[in-house]
Amino acid sequence: MKFSLARTALALAATLTLASCGGGSGKATYPVHVTVSNLLYEGLILTTNGMDVTVKPPATAGTSVNLTFPNELDYGQVYNVVPKGGDLSTSPVVYGTQPLHQTCLPNTNYPDNLPHTATAGQLATIQVNYVCALNAYPLLGTVKGLTGTGLQLANGSSAQVDVTPLTDTAGKPTGADTAFSLGKVYWNQTYGVTVLTQPKGQTCTVTAGGDNGKGAGTMKDTNKTDSYNSPGVTDIVVTCVASS
Amino acid sequence: MKSSILRAGVVALACTLGLSACGGGSGDLNLTGYVYNVTKDGLVLQNNGGDDTKVVAPYTSFQFGSRLSNDDSFNITVKEVPSNVASVSDCVVANGKARANYYTIGQISVSCKIRQRALKVNVNNLTTSGLVIVNGADRKDVPVGTTTVQMQGVNEDGPYGVTVLTQPTGQTCTVSGGGNGNGSGTMGATEDTTVTVTCA
Repeated sequence: MKFSLARTALALAATLTLASCGGGSGKATYPVHVTVSNLLYEGLILTTNGMDVTVKPPATAGTSVNLTFPNELDYGQVYNVVPKGGDLSTSPVVYGTQPLHQTCLPNTNYPDNLPHTATAGQLATIQVNYVCALNAYPLLGTVKGLTGTGLQLANGSSAQVDVTPLTDTAGKPTGADTAFSLGKVYWNQTYGVTVLTQPKGQTCTVTAGGDNGKGAGTMKDTNKTDSYNSPGVTDIVVTCVASS
Repeated sequence: MKSSILRAGVVALACTLGLSACGGGSGDLNLTGYVYNVTKDGLVLQNNGGDDTKVVAPYTSFQFGSRLSNDDSFNITVKEVPSNVASVSDCVVANGKARANYYTIGQISVSCKIRQRALKVNVNNLTTSGLVIVNGADRKDVPVGTTTVQMQGVNEDGPYGVTVLTQPTGQTCTVSGGGNGNGSGTMGATEDTTVTVTCA
């Protein structure tokens, strides 16, 4: 609330300042400054007002990248700093041209949550802050032949899920394929699906999927600037049979 | 920005109306917050030394029974913690002390640190290179001749499941032991856990 009041005050101040200079000599122009933090990989292109800037990751990981668009804006011009081809005003958001393995979005944490789109002159200076985060992709699979209740699957200590058998209209288990999700795994992180608790009367084992065909692997993506669209791992198979 | 002003206005108006209607009794601001890293019953919170509130499944939020009026002081503290948290100081309240208003009651959270237990892997008969074992995201390369591998700590009461990501050259290693005999289980509350990898 205070912040919005401050903005109003700023806008007022800006108006007064302009009024006091009586629209005389050179018109004020506004450079568009951008800070990108946590950027680790290449590929990010930011754009506004017809200008593109390719953002390279910093030499030292963890430091921020500061850049300024080549042309300054005139008072009253609307800027909208987004990854090229992206649209952050839609739902769901269109992410545009992102770095490999990461997604960068406007910082939403106070006090760095400055608007990525506004009118030049609305604030004394134009500063846009982006922050990048490593992508995580789904870890999905199928349980075959499940009829007993109580099955729990885990991805090591990272995630666990209860899987219940599908039933017919009479409530009897059908043994039909049952999908499961073990959440998301960050790019380049390992996963290994195990049976944490066996279902009643059955023994289940991981029989296929992942890099080694036994439910373990390292999360990969498309290695492109839209890697956020990567499907993740979908081929884990757990097969259940009656306990002997 | 407009919407936030509008919302504040509506809330303030609602407060005024609410207070005048009930004659200045209990207020209408719910004292709530998010909860992180809690996996079981046992967390009890207090406000100003009373109004004990249990955090229940799914352990993601809390709400005190008594409501506050605008400008009431609140001070949230941890009275008791779940059995898998070592001490009361391992659950930390953020933004838990302030005067109540629409802004301050929306900023509170409690985050706990679950006790970690050691997960050890005994390796038998590894005579070639290339073995990689994982417990989910915890990856360990295992050189020739290794007999024990210390994995990252695991949450007490949390799951673990060790699997072979990559077999060593010319050998096949299988995982046994742990709570379920297949290298997986739920980390116990009293002792550390050993899983066995045997190569042949």
